[in-house]
Amino acid sequence: MIHSSMSRSSEIHGRSEISLTVNGAPRTVRAFPMERLLDVLRDQLGLTGAKEGCGEGECGSCSVLIDGTLVNSCLVPILQAADTSVVTIEGIAAGERLHGLQKAFLECGGAQCGICTPGMILASSHLLSKKPVPTLDEIKEGLSGNLCRCTGYIQIFEAVARAARQGEASSQ
Amino acid sequence: MRSDPADYELVAPGSLQAAVALLARSPGEWLPIAGGTDVMVQYAAAKLPFRKLVSIWNLPELRSIEVTANEIRVGAGSTYTDIREQEVIESEFPMLARAARWTGGIANQNRGTIGGNIVNASPAADSLPALLAYDAELILVSVRGERRLPYEGFHTDYKKTKLAPDELIRAVCLPRKFAGYVHHARKVGSRNAQAISKVCIAALARLAPATAMDRKVVGRTVMGQPIEDLRVALGSVAPVPLRLRETEHVLIGKVIDPSLVSLAQKTAVAEVRPINDIRSTAKYRSAVAGNLVAEFLYLLNAAGKGTGADKGASDVLARWNAAPSDAAEMQVLPCCGSLKWARAMAARRPLKDEDVLLTTSDDVWRHLGEDDWMKAFHSHPRIGESKTTAESETTEAAQKSEAWARQEQETVAGADEAVKIALAEGNRAYEQKFGRIFIVCATGKSAQELLGMLRRRLLNDARTEFAEAAEQQRQIIQVRLRKWLQG
Repeated sequence: MIHSSMSRSSEIHGRSEISLTVNGAPRTVRAFPMERLLDVLRDQLGLTGAKEGCGEGECGSCSVLIDGTLVNSCLVPILQAADTSVVTIEGIAAGERLHGLQKAFLECGGAQCGICTPGMILASSHLLSKKPVPTLDEIKEGLSGNLCRCTGYIQIFEAVARAARQGEASSQ
Repeated sequence: MRSDPADYELVAPGSLQAAVALLARSPGEWLPIAGGTDVMVQYAAAKLPFRKLVSIWNLPELRSIEVTANEIRVGAGSTYTDIREQEVIESEFPMLARAARWTGGIANQNRGTIGGNIVNASPAADSLPALLAYDAELILVSVRGERRLPYEGFHTDYKKTKLAPDELIRAVCLPRKFAGYVHHARKVGSRNAQAISKVCIAALARLAPATAMDRKVVGRTVMGQPIEDLRVALGSVAPVPLRLRETEHVLIGKVIDPSLVSLAQKTAVAEVRPINDIRSTAKYRSAVAGNLVAEFLYLLNAAGKGTGADKGASDVLARWNAAPSDAAEMQVLPCCGSLKWARAMAARRPLKDEDVLLTTSDDVWRHLGEDDWMKAFHSHPRIGESKTTAESETTEAAQKSEAWARQEQETVAGADEAVKIALAEGNRAYEQKFGRIFIVCATGKSAQELLGMLRRRLLNDARTEFAEAAEQQRQIIQVRLRKWLQG
């Protein structure tokens, strides 16, 4: 939930302190409330994994998770991310150990220039959290908001299917 | 040009009451922002005509979906994901559920709200024709209280609405009165996700029940039943989402035949007022509007003939549910070809309806072993041939399976020779590489498309291709189960 910061911000009309959790760690930023989450992540927190592609919610390259839900961080004013838990691509691996999706993308050739990849991985992770064994159609739908101009998508779909199979195998 | 965040104020009052109080203090000065999927786009382009914004995202009073005996009350702050996940909307208001799936991609569905979509008032919004067709009503709220008004007429002109400057939409109410209607929604655009429609339709209708007399007189063919009620709404064909009242008027009470369809089509073309823009032309949109209406009428007519068929489907299922296990296995076997699948399906009975049947099948299929997947693969003829490669477990099942395979591959039979030869060569190469026949869900695909898929899949590694074949077989089973239900 968003705190009632109305009186404060309408009086100050400037930067305010906003607290949120990023990749598991509590962070406080000073920002104008309309600053985009994407810019705060990249410019203040140094997390440049989320990319700005179109800047209007069409391409998915700025995808992050807020409280486990996939969003385009270019469309989220930072005030709306107050007191939430944000996960970016930098928070997907466990230290040096790659996440199953990251491994599968490597193995299947699912990444080429890399601009869309962080968003693809986060969208895939969101999909697998809802549908652990997605069909090909479900994979396509889950990634339909993420554009890739290199791979032609097939390798990406294969990577997600592979990660799902391995995830299922390891959970059995 | 980009906006400087220092120039903007954004506050988050945290409750509906506080939000409307703020709007009331200086009406017209504050722009409400929910999930930001429209507002932030304008903001990024420095086209936002406001400097003060009030966040209504995630206000609990706006984000609930209440189900009462007479209506579904969808909080205006419900996201498209919330709507998609609501089963009662999927079953009773499928056109809205479908439009929710078309809206943006998953990330935008997670943030975009139904209230935001209405207030943004784009004539191209995918969900708005569904609200028109379903006779939705809106509840508006301000410090002055609440008022309720029909959604139809809420948009007064391009991007103009009846919302007062101090008001918010609180909820969208959907009356639960459309059982027995045929619902049809379609989007015509470059692609479903992330593309704005060129034209979209939401239409529903109910035919008068066929009388015993009709059946007796006409014998086995059910005579046309008149349209008892019908609503057609289109997006992207006028400054506002448009209900086609005149078209409805010429249709209600009539029996569908080709001359009626053509009259309706002409009326619809005359009724729309589309424009030329970057996505399409007025001329194209008019033609598509007429065609969409015609398509709906053909579907409606087919569904009318199927009123018997639908009943037939539940009869097939009821008989199957009651049959002894081995008979039930044999009946359903031609849909898949794996005896283990058929056994598991029979063991999961009773299955209450088509949806449960289809999801059960998916579940059983995914949990079969690779050997059983192979058995199912072998129950098919090669694409372009008609005999199966395996000895089928029963003759009757084999015949049924072959008859279905012929239907599924009918476009191949009529394809030109060069494509057929290329398919035969591709099949051979495929069998050499993977040691089994090429499995593809051929229904609705042209020979050329099948050839393209075959060539692409020839490049797969064995593991990937096995999974892809299994997915195709899953789709084949779904198509066949539906046919099986129709008897």
